[in-house]
Parts: sequence; structure tokens; C-alpha cells
Amino acid sequence: MNLITRMMTKSNMIYLGIAALLLILPFFLTGRSVQFMITQIFIFAIFAMSYDLLLGYTGIISFGHAMFFGIGAYTTAIFMDRFDANILGLVLAIGVAVLFAAIVSFIVGILTLRLKSHFYAMLTLAFAGLFLVAAEKWRDLTKGNDGFTFRIPEILRDSTVMYIVSLVCLVLIFFGLRRLTNSPFGRVLVAIRENESRTESLGYKVLHYKVLVSVVAGVVASFAGVLYMLSLRFVNTSVFHTDVTIDVLLMTIIGGVGTLVGPIIGAALIELAHHWISGLANVHWIFERWIILYGTVYILVVIFFPLGIVGTIRAKLSGRSKSNVLEKKRAS
Amino acid sequence: MDLIVTLGVNGLATGMLIFLLAAGLTLIFGLMSVLNFAHGGLFIWGAYAGVWIYTATNSFILAIILAILTGLVLGLVTERLIIRPVYGNHIQQILITLGFMLVLQELIKVVFGPDQKAVDPPAWLASSFQIGDVILIKYRLFIIIVGLLLFFTIFFLLKKTRIGLIVRAGVMNREMVQTLGINIRFVFMAVFMVGAALAALSGVLHAPYSGVIYAEMGLEFSILAFIVVVIGGMGSFTGSLFAALLVGLAQAFMAYYVPALSLAVNMLIMTIVLIFRPQGLFKVKG
Amino acid sequence: MNNLLKVSKVKANIQQFHILHDINFEVPIGEVTVLLGRNGAGKTTTLRTIMGLNPVHNGSILFKDEEIANLKPHLIANKGIGYVPEDQGIFEDLTVGENLRVAMKREDQETTERLDWILDLFPDLKKFWKKPGGQLSGGQKQMLAIARAYVNENDLLLIDEPSKGLAPIVVEKVMETILQMKEKTTILLVEQNFHMASKIGDRFYIIDDGQTVHNGLMEDLRQDKVLMKKYLGVS
Ligand SMILES: Nc1ncnc2c1ncn2[C@@H]1O[C@H](COP(=O)(O)OP(=O)(O)OP(=O)(O)O)[C@@H](O)[C@H]1O
Ligand SMILES: [Mg+2]
Repeated sequence: MNLITRMMTKSNMIYLGIAALLLILPFFLTGRSVQFMITQIFIFAIFAMSYDLLLGYTGIISFGHAMFFGIGAYTTAIFMDRFDANILGLVLAIGVAVLFAAIVSFIVGILTLRLKSHFYAMLTLAFAGLFLVAAEKWRDLTKGNDGFTFRIPEILRDSTVMYIVSLVCLVLIFFGLRRLTNSPFGRVLVAIRENESRTESLGYKVLHYKVLVSVVAGVVASFAGVLYMLSLRFVNTSVFHTDVTIDVLLMTIIGGVGTLVGPIIGAALIELAHHWISGLANVHWIFERWIILYGTVYILVVIFFPLGIVGTIRAKLSGRSKSNVLEKKRAS
Repeated sequence: MDLIVTLGVNGLATGMLIFLLAAGLTLIFGLMSVLNFAHGGLFIWGAYAGVWIYTATNSFILAIILAILTGLVLGLVTERLIIRPVYGNHIQQILITLGFMLVLQELIKVVFGPDQKAVDPPAWLASSFQIGDVILIKYRLFIIIVGLLLFFTIFFLLKKTRIGLIVRAGVMNREMVQTLGINIRFVFMAVFMVGAALAALSGVLHAPYSGVIYAEMGLEFSILAFIVVVIGGMGSFTGSLFAALLVGLAQAFMAYYVPALSLAVNMLIMTIVLIFRPQGLFKVKG
Repeated sequence: MNNLLKVSKVKANIQQFHILHDINFEVPIGEVTVLLGRNGAGKTTTLRTIMGLNPVHNGSILFKDEEIANLKPHLIANKGIGYVPEDQGIFEDLTVGENLRVAMKREDQETTERLDWILDLFPDLKKFWKKPGGQLSGGQKQMLAIARAYVNENDLLLIDEPSKGLAPIVVEKVMETILQMKEKTTILLVEQNFHMASKIGDRFYIIDDGQTVHNGLMEDLRQDKVLMKKYLGVS
């Protein structure tokens, strides 16, 4: 009871209201492709939120977040392909995906998070590169760049069901992460972002917090990869590409780092933009090379719009700019 | 014995190429404390620009010159547009240079076409020497010599002139360096351009060595350069030479003896270094 | 030309704040000119503005009869002005020797002689040659900063509060050095320590709220209790 009343703050009401609206939406929008696209937005929103945990809340830059997404994706695909495509198999796949992601993120974290921030960025980039090459070379298992399709549990093949499952996951993860970031643990993360050495001198084991948060982010990203596979039912090495990491960076930064809601909005914008741009591919060659467009937008946003959409709105509302990881000068 | 010599020469040549790439990266990082994730983009532009004129004129010397020029120009552009707005903010720097890396890599496909290109060494470097049973390929020796020459030149410049000191002082206190009569903006720009030119040079020298070039090499070699820089010690110039040679040799020998592991060997070395000596093999001054 | 530096009607802002309203003074060749004034009067800003570290909004700054207002700092420095900032501006991670080396534009006979001369005045610098600048004491930092401004052949030195935060005995030491340097260069000195200012200064200007309000010979100021009380709070 207590918990429920506490949950019913104004902003939570709004979020739940929006979620409820989205929940009934598929009964009006029955087109498969529209449902599919919104499902993708939900999935990438989960992925982007996990990134926000690192970049926005803790000030950790990862250039290999695609790796966890890909781990989730390939684990699901391989399990579904090799074993029975039933719910039990899926649960098993999720378990393995999550565990695998946790182990990898733990190893990468423990190796580099005690060093300056660029080590983590470099090492994650390198590890993601290794996973990509491994996926390309280990053809017996992955069929390389050609990829493969697979069957999934009967019930999830319905696009409306997949829509609802993704939405429910998004809502649950959103509130879960919000609790986490508002908890004492989350406040330590923000303190680390603001001033790592001060936090350390206050007696917090900064490394433990950083490793833990990177594991949580890895696990959530991997789960997003699982959902992605369930909606796509096809896998190839592109899930490990740096493009995926750039996508998630762009979603997080455009939406607003350190806000959780921002990445959701960012995910929607970027997914819509992808959709729109791929429709323009035969209008002009530049749309085929969309990375150029995205990269340019991304660079401009980092320089000129570091608060992102939600961050800017919040700064306007509160009248002063809240500190933000991208604005902080002299971060090490 | 001859096998070991052959593999050793291969490894040293690969190592030297990686060194040229990593040298620019570590120079820029060590002196200006800027971590440039777009470094591999400069590498690949050097390779493509050089190969383009090489194919057109058949002159490898022209290819090297054009690659260096491309590196200088791109270095200038990168410094002014991408790095200058975010000096001193590492997070923005890291984020923004990765974005630029991908843009540079993708632009390659626009300018030179998306397909990979085959490249042969120039005629005067194509043959090989034979000493006893050992066959030494000229092009590899050429790379080793160029690498050593550049290493000693830069080493000398850093040790014997004030340039290294000026740049480091400029990072610590920009205003003060200016009041000593030094145009620090220009110095920073020049260092950055030299680093970029080294990357581009590495790119064009790499082209005939690997036989093909393709746009994605940019990111692949960025990663390799990072690994080397981490092993050698971020910002240590000598360290990056040793680390690059180590990585080159390890790759050459692994590819022959344990091919399955040759992919992961760099990561393996780096992981070991990070566990036991996270500051890198060579301690960085300052 | 007997005025090395001539500052007239200078106005300068820091961001949107008007800090200097009307600064006028001259620095005669071969003398020590002292800028006095209470905290926040604009003395440091005046030196920074001369050095080009702060834009000139209006007015002129002539150095050797040449306009230097709004030139880039490194160009101004290369015309022959050395600067010792209020916070000394030591390159903390560089050693004493490296700090000096950054400053040395040439490494010829003459520069080496100047270096030797100043090092003889500050034996501490020789002793701690390999020590990082950041680990020096306040007095040693001050000496290093002065030495660094001195090694190049400059015609004018701008020195901002060399006595700040130093123990009296160290102040004496710094004062002696500046007195010796006075034989070789012209100096524009900002100094709150009246004892020191009156010992080495030839002429003074008082800055108050961004304006030069008074000037004269240092020896006259020593007699003028009213003036000193009004602007400097010394009695
Ligand atoms: N960065 C700045 N931004 C805004 N105002 C500044 C800035 N720096 C200095 N000021 C203001 O300019 C005025 C003059 O400062 P300045 O440092 O020149 O004084 P000063 O005479 O050197 O004082 P002191 O004897 O304390 O060193 C002061 O009122 C100060 O508050
Ligand atoms: Mg002052």
C-alpha cells in the first residue's frame, strides 16, 4: 500500500498514462509494419537507457555497447535455432545471454574502470571489434555476415503480442532503472560523475560502483538484444557493428544524457529518422551513406546541444542549467 | 632458423607500420592530452589518397607525398573543426572524435567508391634479396628503415628541441606560454598536423604491404593503434615503438604457429599488460 | 623616446563588466614604475591588458612608440615584454630547468649569460633544477617566475605583486633581486607592500576603481600621509 502511494507521484502518473495509451494503441493501429516499428523503438529505448546509465549517470564512455546487444541477440538466435523454439528455451536463452553479458562487462570493467575514462572507451571498442570478427569467422555457429533466420515460440510470432511484451519490458525496466538512479546507489554514481576523486576520498569504493553499474548496463543491453531478435527473427553480424553503438550514443545524447526519459525519446527520433532516410535512399546518394548524416548531426549535438532535448527542457523549467556530463569541463 | 628470420622480418615490418600509426596518436595524446578516436580515419584517407595517385601515375614517391599532404590538411581540418571546440573536456573529445572517425570512413566510400582496392608494391621495391636460405622482401625492409628513420627523427626533435616542452607547458597553462612569446595555437595545430601526417603515411605504406585497402580498415587500425598505445603506455613515444614491434612480432609468429589465436593475440597482450602494469610498459613522464 | 611604455585612456572589460575606465600612465626607460591601489582596483587587469591577455576596449598602449593594443599576447611578448603574473604561472609538471627552457627563445651565449646571472641570484633554483615546479615553495616559485621572465632579452618586465604571500625574509630577498635587475631593465611593478614599493620604485601611479587617480615620485609619496591613507589605507 505504502509502496503504491509512493509510486503515485505526478510524473509517474504521467508516465503510466502514456504507457497505458501505448498499450491500447495496437488495437487501433493494426498495420504490422507500424507495430513493428514502434516495437523497435521500445527495444532501442531499453538499449539506450542502459547506455544512459553509463554515460549520463556515471560519466563512463563505452564504445562497445553494441557488443552486449549482440551477445543478447546471438545467444537468443543460436538457442532458438539449435534447440526447441519454446518458452523454456527462450528463458534459458535469456538466462545465458544475461550471464554472458554480465561476465564480459565485469571483465572489461575490472580491467579498465580503475584507469582514466579513455581506457574504457578504447577497450570496449577493441572488445566489440573482437566480437564482430569472431562472429564473422566462426561461421559454423553464426553463418557469418549472411546470418540466419530462426523460429521463435509460437505466441511471440504475433506482432501485437511482441509489441505488448516489449512495451511491458520497457515500462518495467524504466521504473526499475529510475528507482536505481534515485536510490543512494544512484546518487553515488552521480557523485562519481561529478568528482571521482572526491567521491573516493569520502570513502566510497568507486571502482565497485563503476563495475557494478557497467554490469547492470551490459545486462540490460543484452536483454534489449534478446527482444530485438524476437522481433526480427533474423541475425547477422551487423548487431556487433559500431553503427549500433553510434545509434545508441545518438539516441542517448539527443534525448538528453542522465535523464532516462531522454534516451526513450531519442530512440523514437532515431528510429523514425532511420525509417524516413531509408525511404529516401534512391532520392540522393547521401541518404545511402546515412552514417555521414548521423555522424555530422552527432558531432554538432555534442558541441552545441550537450543537454539534449529533455535536459534542455528541464534546464528551462528549473531556470538554471543542471550539470551534465557533456558540459562538465576538465573531466578526466 | 630461416623461418624465424622471415617471420621476424614480417613481424618487424608490421610492427613498424603500426608504430607509425600509433606514434601520431601517442604524440597527440602525450603532448596535448587529446585522445583522437578519428586517428584511423586519417590513416585510411592517407591510404586511399596515396593509392589513387599511385594508380594514376605509377609513382610511389608521389603517393607518399600526397598521403602526407592529405594527412596535414585533414589534420588541420580536424584540429580546427573537431578538436578546438572541446579542448580540455575529455568526454566531449572522445565522443566527438569517434563520430568524426565514422564520418571520415564513410566519406571514403563516397569519394573513392565502396569497393576494396588492390595495390602492388612499386617495381623498385617488389623484388627480394636472398641471403643463404633466407628470403628478404625489399618492401618489408623499406618499411622497417622508414619506421626507424622517423622514430629517430621525432625522438631527436622531442629530446633536443623545446617543442615537446612547449606543447606540454601549453596544455598546463595556455596563457603563460603565450606571454613567453609562443604562438601556442599554431604549435598545437602543427603537432596535430604532424600526428595526422604520420597516420596518413602509415596508411599509404600499409597499402602495398597488405595488398588491398578498404574503408573499414580505418576503424580496425584505430583499434590496433589503441592497443599498442595502451601496451606501451599512453603518451610514451618510445613505449609505442616497443609495443608496436611486440604486437607485430606476436602477430607474425602466432599467425604461423597458432593461427586460431592470431586474431586475439593483441587483445591478450593488452589484457596481460592491463592486469599487471596498467600504466603500460613504459612509464609516462609528467 | 624616454617613455618605454605609454598607456592612454585605456578602457577594458572582463566579460560584460567594465573593469578599467580610464588608465593613463607612462613608464620611463630605465626606471621602476609602481602601480599602487587597493584590492580590486584593477592593477592586475591593467598588466593583463598590456600583455594582450585581456582585450582593450578603447584607448591606446604604445610600447617603444608602437601601438600594441589588442595584439596577440605572443606578439606583444616578442616585442620585448616579460610578464610575471600574480599567480606566477609555473608549469607545475615541468621541472625548474624545463620551466626555464620553455621560456628561452634562443640558447646563445647571451641568453646563457643572463641565465647564469639570474641563477646566481637564486641559488635555490639551481639546487632544485630537476624538481617539478609544482613542488616548489611559494618563494621559490616566485623566483622561478621572475627568472623565467628575465632570461630572454626583454626591455620591459611586468611584475605583479612579487611579495604576495611570502614571508618577510623572502620578500627582502626578492626585493634585492629586483633592485639588481633594475640595473638592466625597465620594470613596471604592481606592489601592495609599501615598504618594498618605496624601496625600489622611482615613480608611482595610484589606480582606484579602474582609473589612474594620482601619480608622482615615490619619495614624495612617502611624505604624503593624506594620499596614502586615502587610497592605500596605509597610515
Ligand atoms: N574574471 C573576472 N570576472 C569578473 N570580474 C573580474 C574578473 N577578474 C577580475 N575581476 C574584477 O576586476 C576588478 C579588478 O581586479 P584586479 O584583479 O585587476 O584587481 P587588483 O587591483 O589586481 O587587486 P588585488 O590587489 O587584489 O590583486 C575587481 O573588482 C575584480 O572583481
Ligand atoms: Mg592583482
